[in-house]
Amino acid sequence: MRLKPYLALLPMLALGACSSGDYLLFHPINAIATQEWHATIVDTVVMTLIILPVLLAIAFFGWRYRKSANAAYDPDWSHNTVLELLVWGVPFVVVAGLGLYSVKTIYAVEPYQPGLLQKQVNADPQSVLNVDVINTDWQWVFVYPAQHIATIDELEVPQGSVVRMRLTSTSVSNDIYIPQLAPMIAVMPGMRTRDSFDAPVLGEYTGFGADFSGAGFSWMQFATHVVSQADFNAWVQQAAASPNQLSYAAFQKVAQPHANIGAKVSYFSNADPLLFDEVIAAAQAGVVYPVSAELTKSIGSNEK
Amino acid sequence: MQLQAPGPWSLLLGRLTLDQIPYTNPILQVTFAVAALVGLAVVGVVLYYKKVGYLWREWLTTVDHKKIGVMYIIVGLVMLFRGFADGLLIRTQQVLANGPHAAGFLGATHGFLPPFHFDQVYSAHGTIMILFAATPILTGFQNIVVPLQIGARDMAFPYMNAVSLWLTTAAAALVMISLFVGDFSQAGWVGLIPLTELPYSPGTGVDYWMWAIQISSVGTTLNAINMIVTIVDMRAPGMTWFRMPVFSWTTLSTNIIGLTAFPVLGVALALLGADRYLGTHFFTAGMGGNLMLYTNLFWIWGHPEVYFLILPTFGVLSEVIPTFSEKPIFGYVTMVAATFAIAGISWLVWLHHFFTMGSGPDINGFFSVATMLVGIPTGVKVFNWMFTLYRGRISYTVPMLWAMFGLFLLLVGGLTGMMLALPAVNYTVHDSVFVIAHFHCMVLMVVCAGFAGVTYWFPKLFGFRLDEGWGKAFFWTFAIGTITVFTAMFALGFEGETRRLEWTFNTAWKPMLVIEELGMVLYVLSLALFAIMLIVSIRNRNKEHLGSDPWGTSRTLEWLTPTPVPFYNFAVTPQVNTRDELAWRRKHGVEHTKPDAYEEIHMPSNSGLPVILGACAGIWGFAMIWRIWWLAALGLLGIVMIVIIRSFDKNAGYHLQPREIETMERNLTIGSITSEQPDRSHHIPHAEAH
Repeated sequence: MRLKPYLALLPMLALGACSSGDYLLFHPINAIATQEWHATIVDTVVMTLIILPVLLAIAFFGWRYRKSANAAYDPDWSHNTVLELLVWGVPFVVVAGLGLYSVKTIYAVEPYQPGLLQKQVNADPQSVLNVDVINTDWQWVFVYPAQHIATIDELEVPQGSVVRMRLTSTSVSNDIYIPQLAPMIAVMPGMRTRDSFDAPVLGEYTGFGADFSGAGFSWMQFATHVVSQADFNAWVQQAAASPNQLSYAAFQKVAQPHANIGAKVSYFSNADPLLFDEVIAAAQAGVVYPVSAELTKSIGSNEK
Repeated sequence: MQLQAPGPWSLLLGRLTLDQIPYTNPILQVTFAVAALVGLAVVGVVLYYKKVGYLWREWLTTVDHKKIGVMYIIVGLVMLFRGFADGLLIRTQQVLANGPHAAGFLGATHGFLPPFHFDQVYSAHGTIMILFAATPILTGFQNIVVPLQIGARDMAFPYMNAVSLWLTTAAAALVMISLFVGDFSQAGWVGLIPLTELPYSPGTGVDYWMWAIQISSVGTTLNAINMIVTIVDMRAPGMTWFRMPVFSWTTLSTNIIGLTAFPVLGVALALLGADRYLGTHFFTAGMGGNLMLYTNLFWIWGHPEVYFLILPTFGVLSEVIPTFSEKPIFGYVTMVAATFAIAGISWLVWLHHFFTMGSGPDINGFFSVATMLVGIPTGVKVFNWMFTLYRGRISYTVPMLWAMFGLFLLLVGGLTGMMLALPAVNYTVHDSVFVIAHFHCMVLMVVCAGFAGVTYWFPKLFGFRLDEGWGKAFFWTFAIGTITVFTAMFALGFEGETRRLEWTFNTAWKPMLVIEELGMVLYVLSLALFAIMLIVSIRNRNKEHLGSDPWGTSRTLEWLTPTPVPFYNFAVTPQVNTRDELAWRRKHGVEHTKPDAYEEIHMPSNSGLPVILGACAGIWGFAMIWRIWWLAALGLLGIVMIVIIRSFDKNAGYHLQPREIETMERNLTIGSITSEQPDRSHHIPHAEAH
């Protein structure tokens, strides 16, 4: 019988597996994600410093003053001015400290203009890569306005760059998220939001939509490649050679609701550099891409 | 003017056609068969024991706050079971549909639920658990306990109390009907905007969600008015504000939140309804609409709603912990202050539900610090409970176990909540399952306090205890199941799993998904143990005769009156001398004193109108969902008629005579909650209002 409470702790062992690479948030790649991970650690440590003693005290009192123990019993003790000042004071101090820390970190990682990246942007404006991200039902369109190319479900950026994304949606809201690189930020129709990240380490990182956007939502992953500048240039050349072009008219076909099963990548040459603004203007003017009930029922279903 | 919804429409049946009935879906076939069998069994039992009249007289038409409370809890438990079934489907789908090569069954590409079905299941799970399980269960407790705790005969407005119950029940029924007629919303319990707009949700699912919440929120608002008036106006003589039990305090604060918050939700849903039915553009992306306005309005209700649920559970803990520590609550005044501090701050934090919307660092900073402020009064409460244990004499009864585990979940939820309050952290886990695990810690704390309350007050109402052994077995499986599921879910949050995924695309998540599923098995087991506990307890119910205070260490007024509580609550309105009145009387040996003489008691008469009004509201909602305009008009007409009939009702209740009271007090079992009130076919025409 006595063992039962300890059995409850068994699942905690699961956390022992945390060192593996599966825990994406424990393995940030760039300055932004590292700062966010540090904030997670700082907050957890500070809160544990107060919560753990409370937990232990509750466990200790609960055991020490159980009825069968015949411990000291004080049936009227219910007030102590010093203690009551302390129970307000201790949380107040903790919250004041964490509050200050929180505000400081917000400015550091602020997705519109991260304080952490400001120095690099100022020193080397050439390293900024602008990408326009358009969320459709249900895929991601990345437009590189300076390079005049666009892709579906692939984001490729050169190592050492600061990527600044403008975000919007043709239809419904979503979030964009690349766990090891870019903070989660809402993507909304008729509106522009921003997200930024730096790309110091070569590799492939998964990004995906994080806020439910309808039947095809679970298929909305995209690959993020951080490559060398030379590889990036070659990749741009390859995309620019694509026979598919992306004007606003051509975009209408892309924007029709459908799931991109398997997140197959497409490239477009001659992408309209103003496509992003045209999509926002259209959404504000009331353009929608309706999802029929039949489509909702058939996506992800074998019964077509 | 009316916006044409896609698909066929007929004058007689609106959008309702035969293919809206999903009779081909095997999961729903089984569900329907089970529901039909259970329904038939209930009807059969009622008919076999000839209890139709009893059911109508004593339950459906009752205005007794205790019976209404019991019915609230029954509705809540039924919906809790439905919501749990949805949760089980979600967990099972996500573990089966892991990775791009996961097999598909029953027509799904991965797992056994295609998105069309899965999205309804997760939307229903949230809607049901928050609005149709937790809210009614807690409202039920408040109904049962508060009038007793403050020494009142009933609620301030007994008739309106019944109206609130039947509106909530009608709304819950609509959610259940959506299983078998049409679909439920696929846009989350929060109604993700503009996904809920007609172009993206052309079916009737969003309408089911919208009207069900709208109807139940009217019930909740009425109930909030009732509770506030009852507490302000109907306290027994001597029950000053600072002699009031903490549970009544939390009920007061929570209903102030309810009264002020639910109308915001009503307006938000009404505007959404205007978009869907009339073609307006309040929340659309284009034509001057503002979708962020909906999100703000929803969470201006939604966050206070969280505290609407949490505060009464803090009240339950503040009753259970002192009772089983045999000590008064530590720091009563600071406890009350903390309660109202939480209620106040709850209005200032809604934006933390969308730190990621790009509000800018100044706004996010304000709401980050405001959110953390909640931690101060909550911390005060935890400290106070901790010091209540200090130098107590603690007995680990089932309610105490639930309370202690609730405290543990509160601490875990608090730790993770403080993490989410930092936007820098929030950017990495917002919309991830880490958030899901966090708020499940909080709502499961509500559930724990709920079960603590059920086991704590059950003997008072029904005159017999819930079985201790099975209760403990139920508790331990539930607690271990909870830790298993949500430890794994926190881990998955750090692995980058986001919420509402119909198939889980990353195979690295598999181990934790499997652990979650194992936890779900424990939950299923605990559900079986809960059922066994109920059956065993009912079977053994006559083994002991319980006195007015079955636990022997209770402290507040509700334990002063006989067990089970007579329908008139107190034979003589008690005079309150101090805080923790019963503990004081016990100490001075006066808890069993009999009054010298009884006086007339003015009681409200039962009424069949509220249940009919609820039915009309249900019909009206159903008709609006399917756009059957003539039926909607009929339902609305019914509601208006009932209001008119009621306003001409001259019946002002009846008086219990002193001799009757004396007889009933002598033979206490007569006064049971399940007993019948004396026949009152001869109404007193001009009874004074009490």
